[in-house]
Amino acid sequence: MAQVRLASIGKTYEGATANTIRGLDLEVQDGEFLVLVGPSGCGKSTTLRMIAGLEEPTEGAIWIGNRRVDGLEPRERDIAMVFQNYALYPHMTVAQNMSFGLRLAKVPKPEIRRRVEAAAETLGLSALLGRHPKALSGGQRQRVAMGRAIVREPGVFLFDEPLSNLDAQLRGQMRAEIRRLHDRLSATTVYVTHDQVEAMTLADRVVVLKDGRIEQQGTPQELYDRPATRFVAGFLGSPQMNFLAGEVRQGALDLGAGLVLALPPGHALAEGRKLDVGIRPEAFAVAAPGAAILSPRADLVELLGATSLVHFSHADQPCTALVPPAQAPRAGAVIGLTLAPDRISLFDAETGRAV
Amino acid sequence: MTENRSRSRRVLGVSLILVAIVLCFFTPFLWIVSNSFKPQLTIFADVTPLSWKTFLPVHPVLENYRTLFARTNILHALLNTAIVSAAQVALTLVLCSMAAYALTRIRFRGSKVVFALILLTFLLPVEAMLVPLYQVVSGLGLDNTLLGVMIPWIASPFGLFLLKQSFEELPRDLEDAARIDGAGHLRTFVSVILPNVKVPLLTLGLVTFLFSWNSFLWPLVIAQAPEIQLIQVAIAQQGSPTQLPNWGETFAGATVATLPLILLFLLLQKYFTQGMAMSGIKG
Repeated sequence: MAQVRLASIGKTYEGATANTIRGLDLEVQDGEFLVLVGPSGCGKSTTLRMIAGLEEPTEGAIWIGNRRVDGLEPRERDIAMVFQNYALYPHMTVAQNMSFGLRLAKVPKPEIRRRVEAAAETLGLSALLGRHPKALSGGQRQRVAMGRAIVREPGVFLFDEPLSNLDAQLRGQMRAEIRRLHDRLSATTVYVTHDQVEAMTLADRVVVLKDGRIEQQGTPQELYDRPATRFVAGFLGSPQMNFLAGEVRQGALDLGAGLVLALPPGHALAEGRKLDVGIRPEAFAVAAPGAAILSPRADLVELLGATSLVHFSHADQPCTALVPPAQAPRAGAVIGLTLAPDRISLFDAETGRAV
Repeated sequence: MTENRSRSRRVLGVSLILVAIVLCFFTPFLWIVSNSFKPQLTIFADVTPLSWKTFLPVHPVLENYRTLFARTNILHALLNTAIVSAAQVALTLVLCSMAAYALTRIRFRGSKVVFALILLTFLLPVEAMLVPLYQVVSGLGLDNTLLGVMIPWIASPFGLFLLKQSFEELPRDLEDAARIDGAGHLRTFVSVILPNVKVPLLTLGLVTFLFSWNSFLWPLVIAQAPEIQLIQVAIAQQGSPTQLPNWGETFAGATVATLPLILLFLLLQKYFTQGMAMSGIKG
């Protein structure tokens, strides 16, 4: 088990005009499950690879436990990594794949056997130890890749988008397995994904990266409820948060097309200030007769089973509301909606930062 | 119906062309093998008029083979050729695979220039390099040695090109995983990379063997002593310069020299054609 600390890390690839990572400071606590999330090219995989030792930072320092590790080979860092494409050695059996690192470290054979068998048992791979990767399904390969990491008993586990090659159903299963495994091993884990559902469900703490910088970090609930920027608000949550252009007028929030909301409690904003108003789809509720604050026409209604998504436009801006299927209108029908002012997020229209 | 007919016609046309091509390549070989079993006098007597007798011995004899093995040192030449070809295959595989690994997987300044320079040597015809090569090899005191016969060819630009392409197709995650597992460059190369490029290695081995076994000009120049002669040179020089060649023995020698290659090709032709397709280069 170990703490990971990144101090003012920067990374510029050879020949690149811009920095991939800029002045990144990050601490992962001992036993914490930290998820780095962000869109493609935000630098999350580069950060992970720098912790692993597969890339060297161009500036800053990396500490694992009490040791400064930048400049050290991966094998000297007490880490294990699970790759997006599994990276299993095609010519080796499952057992050989899992034990390769231990054999190189000259761990005694009985100990290797013990660790491989224990990891195989944990991951349900005991019957597959003699098979080659090509004879395994995607989920089984993923388990072998995890087994290869587990047998090394590392201080830090690194996961680089490990579920992105699996189908949706298997992804859900594996997500739960990874979390269970972490709870059981209590190992420090850094997990990279672009999937916000994985980030929300797995993490103790989520770090949202954008353009090589930390946009916001906190628990999944904090980030969901109090996004620091419009980017974070839009990135986390499915279906995505709605954004409507608004303006402060006479101490209230004018969202156009006749929709005026009271400012959320604690907000005293200058008259005429332009804002982006963030509304989660579930913040809308179907209004009782006569109580609707907006009555749009549903463009499209999608039944998701437990809920329905109602797509509509407000002042020519696309909007989505999440409502119980029993209350969902037919496409083309008018629906009366309400919205509580304390369930909206306000962002400065120019900077995108939360107000 | 019309479509089916035109399709059948197309298949028939292509088949006829293929048969013609096969005949073009196969007929001379058949003629060589057949003549190796004919007495010297009947060889050219059967050429005209062209008939089945031209390609099949009416009364096969082993006389040509008997005199070939008794009178010449062809067995020794075969052994020399086998040693040179095997060693050249082994050394080419070691050298080219290591160079290809370095050029594809180790980042260093100027790697692209190095690769381009190596490939440039591929464009030079052997004839143009013959004199400087002779000077270098004989300057090293390696003329009239088996090592001298093989040494200029073990660093094969073709081999490097072929293996570099195969190495580039391997996912880089494999090496990253090996690094995480604690493997250095040599261990990664031996335990992870090489086992996954078996087919290209086998292909390069075959092509190199073929090239080495059939080489004539360079062995003729660098290895003139009879005890280190290679098979192609031995066949060409079996008669004395003042005598007319004994064609029966020549054909028997050519058959003996070709036999190992044909067997090898039949056994491993899948890899051979695969390699040619991979490299996009004709052998």
